[in-house]
Amino acid sequence: MRMLAVFEKGERIRHIGHLDIQRSVQRGLRRSGLPVAYSNGFNPHILITFASALSTGACGKREIMDVTMAEEVSTDEFLERMNKAMPPEMQLSEAIAVDQKHPALMAMLQAAEYDLLIRDPVQAEKLTAAIPAMMAKETIPAMRKTKTALKECDIKPLIYGLKGEGQHIYATLVLTEREACKPGMLIGALSAEAGISGEEIRTLITRTALLGRDGQGNLVPLERL
Amino acid sequence: MDLNDKIEKILEKVQKAPRYTGGEMNTAVKAWDECPLHFGFCFPDTYEVGMSHLGLKILYGLINRESWSLCERFFMPWTDMTALMEEEQVPLLSMESRRPLNAFDVVGFTLQYEMSFSNILAMLKMGGIPLEGKDRGEDDPIVVAGGPCAFNPEPLADFIDAFMIGDGEDVMTELNRVILERKEKGLSRETCLKNLAKLEGVYVPSLYDVAYNPDGTVASVTPNCPEALATVKKRVVVDLNSTYYPEEFPVPYTEVIFDRIMLEIMRGCTRGCRFCQAGILYRPVRERSMEKLIDLAEKLQQSTGYEEISLSSLSSGDYSCLPELIRELMKRMKEKRVSISLPSLRIDSVLKESLEETQQVRKTSLTFAPEAGTQRMRDVINKGVTEADLLEKVRDAFEGGWSSVKLYFMSGLPTETTEDLDGIADLARKVIAEYFNVPKTQRAKGLRVTVSVSVFVPKPFTPFQWAPQDTLETIIGKQEHLKQVLNIKGVTFHWHEPYVSYMEACFARGDRRIGAVLKRAWEKGCILDGWNETFRYDLWMEAFRECGLDPAFYANRERAEDEILPWDHIDSGVTKAFLWREKLKSERAETTKDCRKGCNGCGIQRWKGVCAYANAGSV
Ligand code: SF4
Repeated sequence: MRMLAVFEKGERIRHIGHLDIQRSVQRGLRRSGLPVAYSNGFNPHILITFASALSTGACGKREIMDVTMAEEVSTDEFLERMNKAMPPEMQLSEAIAVDQKHPALMAMLQAAEYDLLIRDPVQAEKLTAAIPAMMAKETIPAMRKTKTALKECDIKPLIYGLKGEGQHIYATLVLTEREACKPGMLIGALSAEAGISGEEIRTLITRTALLGRDGQGNLVPLERL
Repeated sequence: MDLNDKIEKILEKVQKAPRYTGGEMNTAVKAWDECPLHFGFCFPDTYEVGMSHLGLKILYGLINRESWSLCERFFMPWTDMTALMEEEQVPLLSMESRRPLNAFDVVGFTLQYEMSFSNILAMLKMGGIPLEGKDRGEDDPIVVAGGPCAFNPEPLADFIDAFMIGDGEDVMTELNRVILERKEKGLSRETCLKNLAKLEGVYVPSLYDVAYNPDGTVASVTPNCPEALATVKKRVVVDLNSTYYPEEFPVPYTEVIFDRIMLEIMRGCTRGCRFCQAGILYRPVRERSMEKLIDLAEKLQQSTGYEEISLSSLSSGDYSCLPELIRELMKRMKEKRVSISLPSLRIDSVLKESLEETQQVRKTSLTFAPEAGTQRMRDVINKGVTEADLLEKVRDAFEGGWSSVKLYFMSGLPTETTEDLDGIADLARKVIAEYFNVPKTQRAKGLRVTVSVSVFVPKPFTPFQWAPQDTLETIIGKQEHLKQVLNIKGVTFHWHEPYVSYMEACFARGDRRIGAVLKRAWEKGCILDGWNETFRYDLWMEAFRECGLDPAFYANRERAEDEILPWDHIDSGVTKAFLWREKLKSERAETTKDCRKGCNGCGIQRWKGVCAYANAGSV
C-alpha cells in the first residue's frame, strides 16, 4: 500500500531547500518507526516521492508526500506517529491510503494555488490594480529563468485564476512536469504592467494547494483524485 | 520595522539561510519565564561546524534537562550575514527563541581551536556584551568558556570571566547553580565570580595577577584573593556510565559536517603520543560499557532517525570489546538500515574482522595516521606504529574491497630532517604497491591515496610544550620539498596553510599579554580565521606590531626547563616533571609503552581512584 500524506512547510523553515526537506521527511519516517518500504541495494533508502518540489523561500500549506509502506497501517496511526516524529514546522494534516496502482502524483499534477503576500502595502495596491489590465491582454510576456539564460515567454495560457485582496494576491498557475508559471514570473509581469518593474518586490510565497483534474476536467486538490 | 520583519528581510538576502533559521527536530524550546536560569551556548564558528560537535549536544541536553535551566544556541554568522545584521541593526540572536545574547544570564563559549578566538570577540560584540570582563556591569551576563583550549586560558583572560577546566558534565550544573544564586539573591558580579572560583575546576582569571621578567617570560602568577587557589585542578568524570549522555540530538535540516549519531565509546587515550594534547588533557582512559552504548544507540536512532552511527573517541580501536560492540550494533541496526562507521581508526588496533563487518554496510575511504614518515621520527613522537603494521592493515583494507586510503602526517616535528620527509613519499609508494599486489580480480577499482601533511603546532601540556615551531621559511621550504617528492601517480597531496599554523602556535602557547593582539586583530577585521577565504595574515602581523609583541617569541622560541609557562597554574593531572621526562626520551628517540601495559606514572595516579590503570607507587 501507499500512503499519501499532506504536510506543511512552515514559514520559519521556508528557506530550507527541497533536498533537505526530502531528507527531513525520510528521517521523520525513520523516527516514527512506521513500517516503510526500502529500496534494495547497497545504500537502501525509503521508497518515497513528492508531488512537487517546493522552491527555497516558499512556504507550503498542503504539500504531498507519497510513501510506500511495507505493511498495512491505518491513516490515523500514520498521522499520529508522524506528527510525533516531525518538527513543529512540518506537521501533517491528512493521510490517505491508496493502493499500489494509484497513479504517480507527479504525473497527475496540473496546477497549484498560491497566496502571495506583498510586504509593501503601496506596492500591493499598485500590483492589484494592474491585474485587470494585464489579464485583458492577448499575451502576457514574462521572463523565464533557464539554467543558462533568461528567456521571454507568454504566461497568459498558464494563469488559471488571479485576484488581489488587500496585501495578498491569489493565483492559480499551471504546474505540470512539462511547464510551469512560477510565482516570480507572475510578479515580474504584473510589476511591469504596474510600472514598478524596477523596484524590489518582497513577497512571501505560500503554495496553498496542488491541483489535478477530475473526470469532468475540473481542477481539484490532487489528494482528492 | 520590528525585529522579526528585519530578520525576515535579512534571511531573504543572505546566503545559506537555513544555517540561521533554527526550528530543527529535538531543539528544545523551553518557556523562557518558567526557567529561572538562561544559558546561551556559543559555538564560535559556523552552524555547520558547531552542529557537528559532540560537546554541544551533551551540554545542550544536560542544561535543558534541568527544570530550572534552559539552553539556547548561538553560532558565528558568516561575513555576509554579519554585514546584513549590522545594516539592519540586528543583534546576535539565539537559534531557538531569537533572543539577543545579552538577555542570557550565562554565556558559554566552547574553545575547540585557537583560530576561533576572534569569533568570540565578534559574537560578544554582536550580542551587546562588553568585550572585556573588567568593563562588564551588574546587568551583563557572566561569560564562561570550556573545552580543550581552556587549559591555557591566558590569551582569553581579558574576555572570559570564568573557565571550566576538564570534563564539563558535573561542573556545568554546579556553575549554573552559582550563577542562579547570584540572580536570586541579587549578588554582585564580583561575589559571584569569587563563588565560582571556589568550584573545583573553575578558573577565574581576574583573581590572579601575572608578573613578567624583563625578557618577556612569566615571573609569577599570584592569586589576589583567598577564594582563588594557587593551582586549578581539571575536573574528571570518573564513571562514564553514570554520567549524562543525551538520548536525543538536535537534527539539522541542512547538511552539517558530521550529520549522524555520535556514540562516545570512551574518553582519553593511553598511547602517549608526544605531540597530542588531547591525549594528555583527557587522561585517564575511561570506557562506556557495551550495554550502555547499545542502549544509547537504540534510543538515539529512534529519536533522530539518523542512518549512520559513528563511534567516537581518541582511539576507538583500543576499546576493550570493540569487535563485540560492532557486531552487536550491526545486528541491531541492520533492520533499521543504519550503518556503523569507525572514524578515527588506529592502524595497529583495527581488527581485520571488524573491517570486514564495516564493509557489509558501507564502504567509505579508510583513514590511517602514521603521522611521520620514518621509524626514527615515529619513535621521537612515540607513535607506536611500524611500517609493517601499517602496510598489513592497508593490505587487509585493499583485500577487503577498499580502494581509497587517506594518510595523515605532520611536518615540522622536533628533530625532523629531509630523510623524514622523504619517508612520507616512500610510505605512499609502498601503500600503492600493496594495492597492486592484490590480484586484479580481488581488488576494487580506482585506487586513491590521499596524503595530508599538516604543520606541527607545539601545544601546552605535551612533552613538546617547550619546543620551537619551525619558522615560516623552514615550513615553506619543507612543503616545497614534499610537493616534489610526492609527485607520484595515484597520490593526491594536501598540505596545511603555514600562516594559520603559525598564528595557532602563537595563541596555543600565548600568555595574557597576547589578548591585546587578539583584540587589535579583531578590530582590524580578523574574523573566521579558521577559514582560508577569511584568514588575513597581514592584519594579524600588523596587530602584533602595533601591540609591540613578537610572534616568534611565542611560536619559535625554545623554552628552558625552569621557565614558568603561562599555563603552569592549571593542573591537567599530568605533571610537568613527567612531560619533561618524555621530552628527554623523545630526544633520544626512546619510546614509552602504552600505559595499559603498565603505568608510566604520568601524575594522574596522585588522584586516588581516577585512573583504572594507575599504579600508585610509581613516581
Ligand atoms: S596514571 Fe599511569 S596508567 Fe593512568 S594515565 Fe597516567 S600513566 Fe597511564
